[in-house]
Amino acid sequence: MTIVDSLIALMAVIGTLIVAFAVSVWLPGIERKFVHARIQQRIGPPLSSPGLMSPIKFFFKEIINPNSPMPGLYNALPFIGIIISVLLLLIIMPQMYFFATFASVIALVGLLKVEEILYMFMGSLSKSVLSINMPFPDVVKGAKHPNVPRSFFEELSSMRAFRLIALGSFPIYIAIFVPVAMAGSIFLSDIVAYQQLHGPVLFTIGGILGAIVFFVGFMILMNEYPFAILKTKADVIEGPLLEYASKYRAYVYISRGLLIFVLSSIFATLFLGLPPNLLSWTILINIIVALAFTIIMAIVSAFSPVFTYKQFFPVVAGVSVLGVLAIIASFL
Amino acid sequence: MDNDNKITDETRNEQEIETEVPMGTVHSAALEPYRIRLFVEDEIVRDAEMTIGVNHRGIERIMEGLPVEKANSLTEKICGICSNSHIWNSVLVAEKALEIEVPERALYIRIIMEELERLHSHMLYLAHGNEVLGHETFSMRLFYIRETVMELLRMIGGNRVQYGVPVIGGIRPRADLNEMRIQRLTEGMDFVEEKITDFAERFVADPMIMSRITGVGVISKEDALRLSATGPTLRATGVAVDLRRDMKEYDPFEFDVITQDDGDVKSNLLMRVLEIPESIKIIRQAIKALPEGPITNRSWEMQDVTITKSYIEVPRGKLYHSYSLDEGRVRNVIVRTPSITNIGAMEHACIGNHITDAQLAIVQCDPCFTCTDRAIQIIQL
Repeated sequence: MTIVDSLIALMAVIGTLIVAFAVSVWLPGIERKFVHARIQQRIGPPLSSPGLMSPIKFFFKEIINPNSPMPGLYNALPFIGIIISVLLLLIIMPQMYFFATFASVIALVGLLKVEEILYMFMGSLSKSVLSINMPFPDVVKGAKHPNVPRSFFEELSSMRAFRLIALGSFPIYIAIFVPVAMAGSIFLSDIVAYQQLHGPVLFTIGGILGAIVFFVGFMILMNEYPFAILKTKADVIEGPLLEYASKYRAYVYISRGLLIFVLSSIFATLFLGLPPNLLSWTILINIIVALAFTIIMAIVSAFSPVFTYKQFFPVVAGVSVLGVLAIIASFL
Repeated sequence: MDNDNKITDETRNEQEIETEVPMGTVHSAALEPYRIRLFVEDEIVRDAEMTIGVNHRGIERIMEGLPVEKANSLTEKICGICSNSHIWNSVLVAEKALEIEVPERALYIRIIMEELERLHSHMLYLAHGNEVLGHETFSMRLFYIRETVMELLRMIGGNRVQYGVPVIGGIRPRADLNEMRIQRLTEGMDFVEEKITDFAERFVADPMIMSRITGVGVISKEDALRLSATGPTLRATGVAVDLRRDMKEYDPFEFDVITQDDGDVKSNLLMRVLEIPESIKIIRQAIKALPEGPITNRSWEMQDVTITKSYIEVPRGKLYHSYSLDEGRVRNVIVRTPSITNIGAMEHACIGNHITDAQLAIVQCDPCFTCTDRAIQIIQL
């Protein structure tokens, strides 16, 4: 590889990252303006508001220290989330495939796990004023169970994040291994090359099943309704994100938009054989997949109530079984 | 058996309960300020304690000594959702005490207002229930349907919230119904009926929603009676009690008392869905048979009377007002709203459910705490 080639590759990587950021700031707006608001027969927010203008607004807001034992670490977590999303995007870019071990599904799974663990840390590192106690004595004479230790919303969320890591995120990891089973390799370069030779994984029985499972896993990872057990309005409100304010909340918004783009690009890479690459027209497919994921996710969430464990775990178990069938089908 | 080892209800509860999760007084699932302490074990609610009282306004104290007309007007401020119910019941107290004959046309228009209020209250309830369920789309659509009823209330009363229609002896002149208003009422009822039927069909056909609300927040008939539940909360357990059956104002109208059997969130939601067509039926009958004639009887004289009581059936259940009159001024005012008697049912409904369903179990009883938080009584111990 010459220096010129290296420079072109570097520019392509940076350009792809810029495209990813540029697209991701519009995705929340599309979700809320074009899907939720249209379905709910209301005007909705301006297109640029949820993903672009809101983060800008939050950057200029007064910094409020969270009620946390380690406010520095707590505030850093959304930014770490952005870094993880960027790393995930870097892994799947074809220019990075020469880092053989790094550009494999094992690395993908590892980074996605770190992304999930962030919510656990967020939950255990904050105690919102909404949940802990009142500014006056609220356990009075005659009150029930006066000596029971108190929990708080974030702690509940943290425990739920742990359950998600243990079980809830099965579908997406099973789905990731469908292309692996077909290509017979854990390396992304091999998976992409396999699909260039044999056609996209998506157009096989195993691929179709795997795509469905991947999408459910995507919604679980995004904590979107009906799988939003980490941030349910009925109990934990925003859960681990409740205490974020000012620029740290801006990072939360940016992180979410970017994660939508990154996960849909992972899907395009694994199931269509089209990694995000600014040097190829196929970057348009990545953008279209990101739009499609956003729109389908918004439609599903608009027509779903939030699940409790009673609905959540059977659905996860059912989808995981479907994922196993997809892997078996891909071996066949 | 050794008495020391005897497990009482209290000790058993203490053994089971691991954690307390306090919610409120500000919470996204609560429309109004209240505090609930949920005692949970692995996210399952084992006990609950609800506290209200943060929105005290002392309206009864303010009403004390006011001229009866002004005091009646003030009762509208008790509740933003059932303001007409409060002023109507307060006016009924005065009319009962002073033996005032109300013109028939005014009675019919009062019924129309009350049923319109029931419609918008039930739709608000359903919208809020769906919001807590996490189904924003249904919630928004219900608000969209409710908007028609709000506009009809504004057309008759001049306001979207406090209409001030009943006055002692009849109704306010601006609330009289002319041809144009009757036409709009008729069209509005057709629209609401069509849309709510469409909503109901979609609602019961949605397996995800049914899975979330069936068997959640169950209150048995016996528990509902023991805990003094009232209104739709009681009827959802299978007890066919509707005070409208006993009110002479409702004698000319045919309607069914809706009941459900299970006492869970599904029964409560369906109760309100099925009560909406009944209210529309009453409004249509009232429009069709609206008598001609005066709308106010002004030939009455003020006199001193002892404490007089009045009960009416409002959207949430039984509403009580009482006061005495002394030289035209009200004394000894007492108001009891349905939510205060439903608090026991709300706490009970939470028990045994997942913590996410606890707010839903409370919402199923249609709490309205701003109208419940009015008066406090300080007892010197």
